[in-house]
Amino acid sequence: MSSRLPPAPTRADDRIPRLGDFETRHMRINVGPQHPSTHGVLRLVVDLDGERIVRLKPYVGYLHTGFEKTMENRTYQQGITYSNRMDYVNGFGHDLAYILAVEKLIGARVPERAQRVRVILTELNRIASHLVFFGTTLLDMGALTPFFYTMRERETLQDIFEAVTGVRMNYGYYRAGGLYRDVPDGFDQAVRAFGASFPRYLEQYDTLFMENDILIARTKGVAVLSRQQAIDYCLTGPSMRASGVALDFRKAQPYSGYEDYDFDVPVFEQGDIFARLMVRRVEMAESLRIVEQALDRLEPGPIIDPDRRVSLPPRRELETSMEAVIFHFKLVTEGFHPPRGEVYVPTESARGELGYYLVSDGGSMPYRVKVRAPSLANLQSLEVSSLGGLFADMVINIASFDPVLGDVDK
Amino acid sequence: MPTPLKEGAAALEALGGTRGEFLDMISVTLPKAALIDGLKALREAGLEMLTDIHGMDYLTYPGHHGKRFAVIYNVHDVAATSRLFVRVELDDGESLPTSTGLWPGAAFLERETFDMIGVEFDGHPDLRKILTPEDLDGHPHRKDFPLGETPTLFNEGRFLDPATFRAGLTGRDEGLTGWKGGTRHGTVATQPTLIDPMMARSLKREAERQEGEGEE
Repeated sequence: MSSRLPPAPTRADDRIPRLGDFETRHMRINVGPQHPSTHGVLRLVVDLDGERIVRLKPYVGYLHTGFEKTMENRTYQQGITYSNRMDYVNGFGHDLAYILAVEKLIGARVPERAQRVRVILTELNRIASHLVFFGTTLLDMGALTPFFYTMRERETLQDIFEAVTGVRMNYGYYRAGGLYRDVPDGFDQAVRAFGASFPRYLEQYDTLFMENDILIARTKGVAVLSRQQAIDYCLTGPSMRASGVALDFRKAQPYSGYEDYDFDVPVFEQGDIFARLMVRRVEMAESLRIVEQALDRLEPGPIIDPDRRVSLPPRRELETSMEAVIFHFKLVTEGFHPPRGEVYVPTESARGELGYYLVSDGGSMPYRVKVRAPSLANLQSLEVSSLGGLFADMVINIASFDPVLGDVDK
Repeated sequence: MPTPLKEGAAALEALGGTRGEFLDMISVTLPKAALIDGLKALREAGLEMLTDIHGMDYLTYPGHHGKRFAVIYNVHDVAATSRLFVRVELDDGESLPTSTGLWPGAAFLERETFDMIGVEFDGHPDLRKILTPEDLDGHPHRKDFPLGETPTLFNEGRFLDPATFRAGLTGRDEGLTGWKGGTRHGTVATQPTLIDPMMARSLKREAERQEGEGEE
């Protein structure tokens, strides 16, 4: 009889659930696209095992504007209107990358003063971009105050940019062969005043956040990306230098006279979020060094290539010279015709390697414009660096790669 | 002294590549079959960083007689002293083997090339559009993709027609608000045939109401 009954439960076999018996099912969570921590319109689909991330997929393209296609249907000079609108936080960097490619194609000779002004503005813009990075990254960490500090310094820079270019964003100040106009009076003093006060602010930042226990606890050893992963995932820029790859195009392939300046490239080996923060913190000081050296060597002189096939003739010539009027008319209505060929000039933007691949068919408009934007490639490394980490750390991890979604989506 | 560039270029030429040069940029055109071997050889030669993959459409390029598309791989070494452009030429409908096995980070770059030019990559883990909306037909960087006067397509077949948009700006026509419906196949837009059902219902109700007022 007893053989027909199931065996009576014994104490050892009791199905009292133990800790190891619990299983959590993976939960799929959608983040964004409209979310303050994604620095734009970035959508992430995250699979979670409890609080740990097991899979992460970025979805981009919400800001795709077709700038490349638009630039293919404008003259080379008009393209400068679009380049800075891609990365709106680091507009001078994009302008410089575009204009260097155009200049390489047409063989323009840029006067020394224009080179120096470009370096000053681009480096100041790098500082401004890193200030935005610090403000927003710490904001994501829950620290509201640093945002006001960094924005205060950025405001000084924005005032300088406004005085020089006339606008606070989307500058469009560089021209093929030089600059659109000379810097205003008082530019030198304004930049020097910023340079005198900024190191003190940097020290404040160090005490406020880089030496802050909470920040260190939340960033050291978190979201580590090894050197090999950085190379495999096509990472560039400060994020790559935080993983131990010492590559800066200002040193490796100097452009715009960067070989004249004495500066160091900060490289950190740890590859964690703290290293990515530190690289940018040190870079701000190095950028300031470059700015001050460039200011010291800023001599009066021409600001644009005098070649009439490249630059507009000065206004006063138009009243006396028929030739000047013809050149002016040709440049304004049609622009210049570069020779056939394909060029690419890598530059170091605030986010990584930035270059414009321009293809000319001999016409006055580029046949093909391809922007190698750093943010798109950098974003992919989220897929590996976030794995196994906490969901709360993912938000800082996104910020630590400093993506600008305009730069991602073009 | 053997540099990564010299070694890499020699390895590619051994695989049947032809070398080209413009200004200081060196490119090697590889046959399609040798692409992955070539990229592997470049990694071994020290050109281990992949910067970009992008496509070109030479459809309207003056004097171009070769294949229509080219896909360009932009590779350099860690010191960035050597940079090499690997080109593969393709006809419409041809596909390329994926390089995600060599660089996992090539995934986004290949997706962008697929999205913009329409070159497919065999073996890619997740080949989807990346930048353009899901419901956009075609590949915008092909030279036969129309520009400007193209209706902008939205979900469920709705689109903005540029002519109507402009008419709406004058204030004399009803413009966009009365414009719903219509379909598009590839680059050809068909004339809209009907206003969408909700709009039709509200128009009908409005007409009935006016009729009723007239009777009184």
